[in-house]
Amino acid sequence: MPPLDLSDIQGFILRGYNFPLARHLMLQINDASEGKRFVGSLINGNARLPQITSSVEWGAVKPTTCLNIGFTYEGLKALGLPPDSLASFPQEFVTGIAGRATFVGDEGENAPENWPSDYATAQTHIVLSLYAQGSEVLETATAELRSAFGQQNALIELGHLDATDLPESRVHFGYVDGLSQPCIEGGPQLRRPDMQPICPAGEFLLGYPSQNPDFSYPVPTPSILGRNGSFSAFRVLEQDCDAFEQFLRTEAPKIGMNEEKLAAKICGRWRSGVPLVLSPDTDSPNPPLTTEQINNFDYVPSDSSGYACPIGAHMRRNNPRGERVAGAGAHIHRIIRRALPYGPLYDPATPNDGIKRGLVGHFICVSLQDQFEFLMTQWVNGGTFAPGLYGTKDPMLGDNDPEDSKFVLPTANGPQIITGFARFVTTRGGAYCFLPSLTALNYLASTEMIKA
Amino acid sequence: MTPESTSPVPATTPQTPSVSPAKPVQNALTWIMTIKSPEDYQKLQGLVQQLSSAPAGQNPIAAAADTLGIIHFLRFVFLENNTKLGVMTIYDGDFDTYVNEFVNQVGPIFDAVLAHMADAPPLPTQTYRAQFNAYVRANDVPVVMFYSAYPTSTVLDIWAATGK
Repeated sequence: MPPLDLSDIQGFILRGYNFPLARHLMLQINDASEGKRFVGSLINGNARLPQITSSVEWGAVKPTTCLNIGFTYEGLKALGLPPDSLASFPQEFVTGIAGRATFVGDEGENAPENWPSDYATAQTHIVLSLYAQGSEVLETATAELRSAFGQQNALIELGHLDATDLPESRVHFGYVDGLSQPCIEGGPQLRRPDMQPICPAGEFLLGYPSQNPDFSYPVPTPSILGRNGSFSAFRVLEQDCDAFEQFLRTEAPKIGMNEEKLAAKICGRWRSGVPLVLSPDTDSPNPPLTTEQINNFDYVPSDSSGYACPIGAHMRRNNPRGERVAGAGAHIHRIIRRALPYGPLYDPATPNDGIKRGLVGHFICVSLQDQFEFLMTQWVNGGTFAPGLYGTKDPMLGDNDPEDSKFVLPTANGPQIITGFARFVTTRGGAYCFLPSLTALNYLASTEMIKA
Repeated sequence: MTPESTSPVPATTPQTPSVSPAKPVQNALTWIMTIKSPEDYQKLQGLVQQLSSAPAGQNPIAAAADTLGIIHFLRFVFLENNTKLGVMTIYDGDFDTYVNEFVNQVGPIFDAVLAHMADAPPLPTQTYRAQFNAYVRANDVPVVMFYSAYPTSTVLDIWAATGK
């Protein structure tokens, strides 16, 4: 495979920035010409406006901000992309996240009609994701962007959502996050080695051999628009910390377990980040796990029964690693997670504080259908993809209903079963985004595309 | 946080049947396609024979089914004086998702079969997935009665129990 053109690929596809702050701005395009002008202004080298960050290494000095952009299908239409080109996008992207909501389990309270209008909704055309080293540069960059798109109401800001890297990179249920990401052929090396195969570039980028034998995903046309692009499911996931902690307090004693161990069984890692497979009995193994060890494990053959990490645990479901699963293999459905918590840190000492908190960000893949949607329908909300699931759903992320929800903890003495719990995570917003290359952004900004 | 220090805890609810899924996991597909002509039947027969006589591990359909791990049984039959081809299978889970996986794996074989059908969808299947799905659904004979000796066991459950 020829080397990836890192200067053409949006930066957040191939690497995590590890910035403490993020702000996602949801925009609507009311005027195609102004929309193009704005897109062009993000790649023209204007020193007074944040520019789209590519995947090129930045060396020893990190920039103070990074910027990336995603377009919904409606956004591409609003920019005036010709019908032939629009028709070359995959159907699930064309349908959009709202149209696919029922399919992926976003029903009832989670349904798009209940999403706040200032979060990402069916009206969103652009998700502009700004990452910053501090609040001052975040505000400065935001002001610059707003002055660039806010003229004459040609682009309207529907809303924005701020996210923060919480202490120790924990998420609101208290777990250390971001320990495992796919390693992409031609991309940066992983900080934490693992036993999983390197993903072909075409599993995350359009225009390269994919994870499927003899089949790669069609590149939207013209190729300068599609190649080096990718897709993301942008998601706003509200977390009910009170309910989660109450669940642990209530259920752990019933099965003779302490709350922290039950929390670990639900996730697959202790809240410290230590995986159950490597340390089934304590979150603080002695000696401690090194960076090289903490993600370097598999579930099989050592824990094929799920006695250490339940087969239905959140992390094991969403990335079964070497486990045998229904379908053409666990490794072909991986996603890149670029998400951070929103809302202040949860304090168990002051429960029911009424503050909304959760996780927001992009879940990136080359095929929303074969990766993000497969994950949601088969692994999160499906209960037949691996032996021993007994029809259950992801205990943390699944659309569980107290009427029939179950979490099964296999033990040598037979399964322990927890029943009757509701979902702890509610979908509050979302958008299926196309993440164009920098070449494609230049094309989208030009008037030439109208003649394509 | 404290380490779990108790000895192994006896299961409080050890009855496996109580964790059975609420509904059967298996589904049936009875996919009947109309063959274009007697010449197409001859070519199809050759193709099916070639597949079924391939040495163990070299039949691409069987290999794909083994990989996917959701198909209990699959058979091809010629019907109505060789004017139709039936593909009959009992499978686990969601139809659309795993047909899509099948197409990713062995799309060209579907194409080779469909090229001989009177009302085939546009080909190749890897490009025209929605049309292929619609074609399969349109030609799937509805089930009027279904019996399974093990309605809540998936292929993977059975493989795990039998050590495959």
